[in-house]
Order: sequence, then C-alpha cells, then structure tokens
Amino acid sequence: MSTTAKPIPAIPSAPNVHPKALWSLKPRSDRESGDAVVSNFLLHWFPAKVFKASLDWTYSFWLGTITSALFLLLILSGLPLLFLYVPSVERAYASVKDIEYVITFGSWIRSVHRLSAHLMVAAVFLHLVRVFLTGAYKNGTGRGQRRQWNWVIGVGMLLATLFLSFTGYLLPWDQLAYWAVTVGTNIASSIPYVGPAVRELMIGGRTIDQPTLIRFYVLHIVLLPGLLAALFVYHMWRVRKDGGLARADREALMRERVEEPPARTKTYTLLGVARGTAPTIRSTTLEAPHRTVNAVPDLVRRAATAVLGTIAVISILSTLVRSPLEEAANALVTPNPAKAPWYFLWLQEIVTDTTFHIGSFTVNGAFFGGVILPGLLISLLTLWPWLDRSPASATGVWFARTRLRQNAVFLALCLVVVVFTIVGTFCRGPYWHFYWPWESWPEIPTRI
Amino acid sequence: MTDRRDFLMKLGFGAGVAGLATQSAASLRSLVPNVSYDAPTTVKLGLPLEFPDGLKFLPDQRLFVFRQGNVFHAVSAVCTHLGCTVRAEALSQPEEKTVNGAPLRLTHRFLCPCHGSTYEGDGANVSGPAPRPLAWYHLEVAPDDGQLVVDLAREVGREFRLTVA
Repeated sequence: MSTTAKPIPAIPSAPNVHPKALWSLKPRSDRESGDAVVSNFLLHWFPAKVFKASLDWTYSFWLGTITSALFLLLILSGLPLLFLYVPSVERAYASVKDIEYVITFGSWIRSVHRLSAHLMVAAVFLHLVRVFLTGAYKNGTGRGQRRQWNWVIGVGMLLATLFLSFTGYLLPWDQLAYWAVTVGTNIASSIPYVGPAVRELMIGGRTIDQPTLIRFYVLHIVLLPGLLAALFVYHMWRVRKDGGLARADREALMRERVEEPPARTKTYTLLGVARGTAPTIRSTTLEAPHRTVNAVPDLVRRAATAVLGTIAVISILSTLVRSPLEEAANALVTPNPAKAPWYFLWLQEIVTDTTFHIGSFTVNGAFFGGVILPGLLISLLTLWPWLDRSPASATGVWFARTRLRQNAVFLALCLVVVVFTIVGTFCRGPYWHFYWPWESWPEIPTRI
Repeated sequence: MTDRRDFLMKLGFGAGVAGLATQSAASLRSLVPNVSYDAPTTVKLGLPLEFPDGLKFLPDQRLFVFRQGNVFHAVSAVCTHLGCTVRAEALSQPEEKTVNGAPLRLTHRFLCPCHGSTYEGDGANVSGPAPRPLAWYHLEVAPDDGQLVVDLAREVGREFRLTVA
C-alpha cells in the first residue's frame, strides 16, 4: 500500500460519469454549478442555466411552484390523516371529530390539509390566469414547441384539483358532505338518458350510503392524487422541452434583433455537446450569458424560498384557523341554506338561475347550469390556444397589446365567476334568498 | 408483406392489448352494482287516525301526508331540481284551488333550502329553478291492519285522494 500522496487523477472522460458524488448549493464555478444539476436526482429536471427574466417574482409570481408546494403539503398532511380516518359511514364522522378534538396535533394537521386544499384551488386558478394574461401557452419561437399541450394538461390539473377538493370535503360525512354528494350526483343525474346510470355508478347504488363513501374515498386518496402527480411530472417535463418559461421565448426572439457578442460558455463541454455526442442545439441561454444565471444556486434558491415560504405560511395559518365540522350527516334534514364550499358557489349560483322554459318544454338548471355551461367553459378554455390568433411576439408578456381583446373577454368571464362566488358566499341566506351582507337573516326554525 | 416473425409480434402485442382491455373492462364492470339494498318502496305509515289534521312530515320517507277529515293525500318532499328536502311553511290564510278538476285546500307552501325553489301547497313549482311539480304518491289502507300505506314507486295525479271509511 502506497502512502505517498499522489496527484488526483484526471477526470475520467467516459460520458455520463460524474466524478463527484456530492454537489454544492454554493458552487465556486460554472462547472460545479452544472454538476449539481447533472448529478442530483432532485435537480435533474432543472436546466443548467436559466434566464434572469424567467426568475422575476413579478413575472410568474411563482404560482406554479406555490401550487406544487401546496400539493406536497397536502400529501404530507394527508399521510397521518390516512392512519386516523375511517372510511365508514358509521365511523367517519366520529373519526374526524377525534382528529379535531382528541388526537395530539390532530386539528393542526387537519387544518394544514384543509387550508392547503383551499389555497391550492386559489393558486391553481391564479396560475391559470397568469398563464393566460401572459400568453404563455403560445409558442414564441415556434421551434419544436408545443406549449399549447401544457395548457391542456394544466386544465386537466385544474379539474383534478377541483375533484380532489370535492371528494375531500365529503369524507367527514357531515351535513355539508351529505348534501354536497346529493346535489353533486343529482347534477350528473340530470343528463338526459345516461344521467341516472352515471349517478348510480358514482354513488354505487341508488341511495347515498357506504358504497358512495368508499368510492369517493378511493378517488380522493389514490386515483386523483396519482393522476395529478402524473400530470404534474409531465407538466414540468414539457416546460423544459418547450424551452423554459414563455418569457424565455421573448429573450430568444429579441436575440435575433439585438446581436450578442460571442461568449465563452462552459456548459457545452459539460453536457458533452462539444464532443458531438448530442445534437447541436442553438440555445439562447448559451449565447447570452450576461442575461442568464446558473440554476444552482439562483433558481434553487428562489424555488426553495417559494416552497419554504408556502410551508411557513400554511403552518402558521393552520394554528390560527380551525377547520369546521358540521353536524353529522342527516339524510332527514337539509341545512338551510345548504351551501357548497366557496369555489363551487358560482356553480351553485348558476344551477339556481338557469332553469328555462321553451313552450311546455323545461330545461332543468341542473343540466344546463351544472353540465352544459361548465362543459362549454372547460372546452373553450381547453381549445383557446388554437383559437388565439395573436402574433408570436405576444408570448410571455403581461397584457400584450395584440391580445387586448381576448384578455378583456377572459377577465370578464373571470369576473363573472368571482362575482357569482361573492354573491353565493355573502349574499345568500335561508332558501337561497338574496340578502345584503349587512342584512340579518330571518328566524327560521331549524327543523321543518 | 407479413412474415412469420412480424405475425408473431403482432399476435403477441394484440394479445397483450386484449388482456389489458379485458382486465380494465372487468374492473370497471365490478363497480356497477348488481344488487341495490334500497329501502322498500311500499311503507306502512301508521294508522290514519294517528295523523293530525293538516300536514305531517315523515323524514324517513321524505314525504308530506295531508289529512283533511278522512281524506288523505301524500306529496313528496324531494325537490325536483337537485334532490334536497324541501321545507313546509304554513300559509297565514289557507287558499282554495282546483287542481286537475278536484278542489284542494292549500294550507302550506314548500321552499327548498339549496337553490330557493318554491312550490305551492299542491306541489306546483312556482318560482326558482325547479323544473317540475313535487311528486304525488299513491296511498292506500293496508288490508291486514288498516295502516296507511304509501307506494313511493307509484306516482299519481294531483287529483288523487284517499278517503278512509
């Protein structure tokens, strides 16, 4: 055995072999910075270099990152709840009551889960609004980009989030749960011809009972989170494939107008591009070094700030906000008023207002407002990238002048949803009558 | 041209797809219930004389039973919009109305707590999103013990009355 200190051998040149097992969040060189991305599993989906502009807090508001942080929190807080909750109509309510009042930290964990869910609905919605208003579903450079498909996946994830919320708030099997299932499945039942069969499949019979609870439970804990996770992974992969945030496209487009002086980049050798083992890519990130930063640490630091910030806010809020639990599910008494959670109140408002008569023929608002209208809205939302005829220069910029009209239409629709939500939340009293928030509700006996 | 190797590959691939499709179809089919453990639709409600004059709400059957002397009729409490249970509100002044050619004394009206549908005392939908009137169900007297029996699977017209001797 030799004890003499030998010089460290040269880095082996075999492709895909990285000499260092560990990586640093404080890299001293571009080389080390790139190594972190290439050799670390959690960072492997980051690019080596990112545009400074893409990292701006005020461009994306990091709403996607916040949403995924909330999803992470939902999984983490859902795990202990899985051990404590019993999906049986006889015991579900009592088990949630135990979580709320008996189990140590139970009410905090439940509050984390509930608040994350509420905020996730809001964050997903705001993320969608941001992507629309910045035209981020458009292909700015057009070079092999398919951003429109990421928009479609995003709409799918919005629906998955809403279904997760719906299946989640009925698990406590309290009055809110029972009547939400009643109304929700009757909306499905209002579809002509197939409706009753669809409802029977949803609730596992003709009456809301144990088969209903177990179906929604399995959807809530396995199928929908799995679907959402799969879509999330694909969503992130597509962002990379499409060249990062849409704002990067602008940088690429601008580059064609403003010539950058050639600059030395080390990333080529790192990725093996120079050796000719990979296709040569014209990458703006490599050509405009002063407008880019290393993903490690700049991107990592900001992503961590967004994620840890979200976790901190939820953790603190959850100590302050208690989760409500209504009376145990009672098939005999409908609460008055019976309100859905806030993010469905605009739908409740719509199904109230859309029953109409054509001669002797009546169209139930449940079908028109509960199925047709939301279906049209979702279809329109999904197809919008193909309807948007604005120029590529409107990609990745807030309120582009060329997209003025569609932004206005979109915001008007959003406003309708928001106003209906506010009316449903604050202005609807017993028997769904309209009351101003400052008006008091009349005394109505709770039974009959 | 299909050679043996190509054919076998397609056969294997097809068998795999067919297997997966069968598994999926079987899994989905298993979720369609073959038996429904519903409550019976014909329910004994008690002796006619035990019903108060006017209206009695039976929460288990989600049913209003009206009695006027020895004349009975039953109206469903299930809102025709989205299935919430409507609540009865007594009118300050009873009204007389002719429904389907038969006179009826309206003592109540019905309101739905979920979306605000309102119904007249005979179940006619008057405002809100309800698309249809509340259902009326068939009533009879059980031949064995004389109890009032409702048949929740048998809707009747709004002229239906059961006169108990």
